[in-house]
Amino acid sequence: MALLEIRAARRVFVTPEGGRVAALDGVDLDVGANEFVTLLGPSGCGKTTLLRSISGFEALNGGSIALDGADLSKLPPFRRPVNTVFQSYALFGHMSVARNVGYALEVRGVAKGQREAKVAEALEKVGLDGMGARRPSQLSGGQRQRVALARSIIAEPRLLLLDEPLSALDRNLRQQMQLELKALQARLGIAFVFVTHDQEEALTMSDRIVVMRAGKIEQIGPPRDIYRRPKNRFVADFIGETNLFDLTVERIEGSEARARTPEGVELVLPSQGLVAGQAVTAVLRPADFTLAAAGLAGTVTRAVYLGQDLHLFVQPAGGGAEIRVTARDGAAAPSAGDAVHLAHDPAAVHVLEAA
Amino acid sequence: MRNPIGWAALTVFALAFFVFIYAPLFVIIGYSFNSNPVNMMVWDHFTFDWYRGLLGLADRSQDGAAQNRALYIESTDQMLAALRTSLTVAAFTTTISTVIGTATAIALARYRFRLKGVYNGFLMLPMMMPDIVLGIGLLIFFVTIGMNLSMLTIIIGHCTFLTSYVFIIVQARMAGLDPALEEASADLGASEWVTLRKVLLPQLAPGILGGALLAFVISMDDLVITYFVAGTGDTTLPVFIFGMIRRGVKPEINAIATLIILASVVIAATGLWLRSRKTD
Repeated sequence: MALLEIRAARRVFVTPEGGRVAALDGVDLDVGANEFVTLLGPSGCGKTTLLRSISGFEALNGGSIALDGADLSKLPPFRRPVNTVFQSYALFGHMSVARNVGYALEVRGVAKGQREAKVAEALEKVGLDGMGARRPSQLSGGQRQRVALARSIIAEPRLLLLDEPLSALDRNLRQQMQLELKALQARLGIAFVFVTHDQEEALTMSDRIVVMRAGKIEQIGPPRDIYRRPKNRFVADFIGETNLFDLTVERIEGSEARARTPEGVELVLPSQGLVAGQAVTAVLRPADFTLAAAGLAGTVTRAVYLGQDLHLFVQPAGGGAEIRVTARDGAAAPSAGDAVHLAHDPAAVHVLEAA
Repeated sequence: MRNPIGWAALTVFALAFFVFIYAPLFVIIGYSFNSNPVNMMVWDHFTFDWYRGLLGLADRSQDGAAQNRALYIESTDQMLAALRTSLTVAAFTTTISTVIGTATAIALARYRFRLKGVYNGFLMLPMMMPDIVLGIGLLIFFVTIGMNLSMLTIIIGHCTFLTSYVFIIVQARMAGLDPALEEASADLGASEWVTLRKVLLPQLAPGILGGALLAFVISMDDLVITYFVAGTGDTTLPVFIFGMIRRGVKPEINAIATLIILASVVIAATGLWLRSRKTD
């Protein structure tokens, strides 16, 4: 039995114009006892609503949420054995850092001495030892983030909910916190449900990613699966940079299949499960292409310098959408206007059934 | 780039503005130390007599003239009784309107209910209403329901409009508050009552204190509404002073005014200090 079991969760909002929008439209999700699960999707996809219905700040219109087999839906937020890290951190400005961190114990009536020991322990876990006497206003953004984290783990919840907690931090700090969060989760041995719209964040930290759109789950899987084997165009497009090709299979040659776009761009696909004449969509990441002496001919329209790499936009000679290619920068690197040839490993192509 | 002529003009304008605002106050403070009992606009010499007279100390003076001057104030006891009435009314009014105003601000910010907009509008109305209309309305209302005019009717009268003042100030603070604070408290296991006590009220404290101070000052200061709803035995300080002035402007008025200015400055400074304290 999974730690958290969500079944057929439905939540309908009434818009100011009187219309009805399903923020959650039949969501099923299991979270394991020591799992880092990320809810990922564009804004308005229902990921925050799902998180808030676990914490109890949103009531469901249908379906159930159970923790350890016990139904949560009848409990008010303050009786639910889960804790949340809020996007705005929501630190209590009129309290010291130590009192913020010990708040969950304070309201449970834990004795002062015992509380202080736990607070010191929690502050140490997030790397803020000795900061207890300060006010939240005296801390930097990253430190506030850690206080919010310490405050939410002090009551030892089995499940921690995180609502885009890193979105206010700058890039370097965010990347550092991503690794720290993942390490903390492993050390604490509790489940994290993490909401983000940042796909890079999701890929870095998660055991499993839940991709959502319009109140529904599009795909659940480990980061590599989501990236390499997206189930549909939406997931392929949303996670990372993608080239999508609408192709018709022309002929099968052993383990390879030759396919062609209406504009005449030819690609080689793994032939497994394909028949000649079939319409398919192929997914190729920018790094799946290499510059070669022969192959798909095209012209570089733009070359974007990214430091170590170059991001090329290549217009195929036959026409059709520009192809995005990642190439190593160097003396031989092409620039805008150059004619190039692109090659790819057929095994790297991920084939979707045509929509 | 600053235009020097424009800048000079602005400086002069600003100085003139402050003179216009504060000159009357300094005139009164000056006159309160002028010993001339007949014409306060002609400087005689410096004296504390008017203050001594207020406090009922003048008759102990060996100076016969000072004793005569002390007769100008009809009764120190009457004035102190008026001050006591004012303080009692202000204390009750401040407490009641602060509690109701704060509770209303929280309710309107956090809960959704029918006719919320109408309710909001009605809360603003007593502030817009001319005092004289409110005073007459209250008087007619009290007479209609057969309520004797007393200190209680003054308190009720003051609460009707001061609740709105407190409400508006606390509501402004409430609007700037992150709703996630209350959610975080609930999330960490606090019931609504504990959240109110440990998070919401401390966060709103500067607004609540500001509203309470304003209510206190306005209640102490109110003449028009009090004039209509006060019973015969319940004279507040403004009503007492107004009564004195009707029988001629006497030097003691200046001393009373100076003391009131002093008290107001202390209260206002306290309020500003409380507001400036950081809460986040």
